[in-house]
Amino acid sequence: MEDTKLEEIWKAYSRAMADAKVLNRQSWSVNIKTFEYLQMHKAKSKLKSLGNFKKWAVLLGILWVLLLGTFVYGNDFRNMYFSISVMMIMIFTIIAIAVYIKHIVLINQINLSESIIEVQEKLAELQASTINIVRILWLQMPFYSTFFWSSQWMARDIKFWLISFPVTLLLIALTTWLYMNISYRNVDKRWFRILFGGIEWVPVINAIDYLKEIEDFKNG
Amino acid sequence: MDTRTEQNDILNLISANMGIIKKICYSFCFTETDREDLAQEIIFVLWKGSTKYNFDFKFSTWMYKVALNVAISHYRNAKRSRATIPFTKTHLEIADQSLDSPDTEVNFNLLQRHISTLKELDKALIILYFEEKSYKEIAEIIGISETNVATKVSRIKERLKQNMLNTIK
Repeated sequence: MEDTKLEEIWKAYSRAMADAKVLNRQSWSVNIKTFEYLQMHKAKSKLKSLGNFKKWAVLLGILWVLLLGTFVYGNDFRNMYFSISVMMIMIFTIIAIAVYIKHIVLINQINLSESIIEVQEKLAELQASTINIVRILWLQMPFYSTFFWSSQWMARDIKFWLISFPVTLLLIALTTWLYMNISYRNVDKRWFRILFGGIEWVPVINAIDYLKEIEDFKNG
Repeated sequence: MDTRTEQNDILNLISANMGIIKKICYSFCFTETDREDLAQEIIFVLWKGSTKYNFDFKFSTWMYKVALNVAISHYRNAKRSRATIPFTKTHLEIADQSLDSPDTEVNFNLLQRHISTLKELDKALIILYFEEKSYKEIAEIIGISETNVATKVSRIKERLKQNMLNTIK
């Protein structure tokens, strides 16, 4: 095949399209209203679906924090372990909410008339960064094993030291390890693929793969 | 210039460049429904974003950036809405008599088939190349260096040529 053959094929078709009755201006103007109506509905499942998911996450997060707040208020520090555990869970949830809000702002700032690499990188990063929120949320897990602790239990029951305390230590070790290792660089590791193997993680994993692809593309 | 006048101007410009949108849709979508869906989304985003367009800059550069960004995002979106109104023949269909020969369409479809197997960014780049954009303009639209554009164009072209030859054999 000659070197210019591909260009010729493209040009021939372009010429054919240029000659065609492509658009009727009048019907076009009418249809643009229909497009607007359609897109208002479509927007929910397309580019903005990412933002919508995050808005729901913020709403649920706020409700969760409010619920936890009522627990802390109701307990009034009668059990220090309970209050501190719940407050720690609240703090991690608030951090995650703040990150989500930052993402929503960034999504709204995406300008599709920027270069393709810039836009695609931002979109993929936003999608992939869900992983970072998961890392933060994992850190609250040990506090789910401490809220029922009490000084009396520690002093009188050996089971606390044999079961509950080691479980908490184990959770601290596990979640710290996960916090340090859940990252884009480990996306190809088997444990990572198992942990994020559910169908709900497919877009996130695809976004991470896409970020790598963009990086390779930029580097030639 | 008021917003309505600007949007009307943009509509005229989009109308004049409708062929570009169709070619992008052909390269990124496999089915007619999907193409219509994407074309509508591109047109809508262009029209909606027209207030952000600076008339001092080249329209086609802006249009390619927006259209390709929408196309890539659309392509990557696994869950696609099917809420699409069908384009009428006056909108998109190419009149049969306007084709040079049946070969034109066959060859173009073949070329599009091979383009559709490329990765999204490679696809965007080669479309711009076939649309006779300069390396400088391609570099600006895609966001990489001119040298990188040149290297990639020759690599992708070679791959397409090989694939075309293998299909014809």
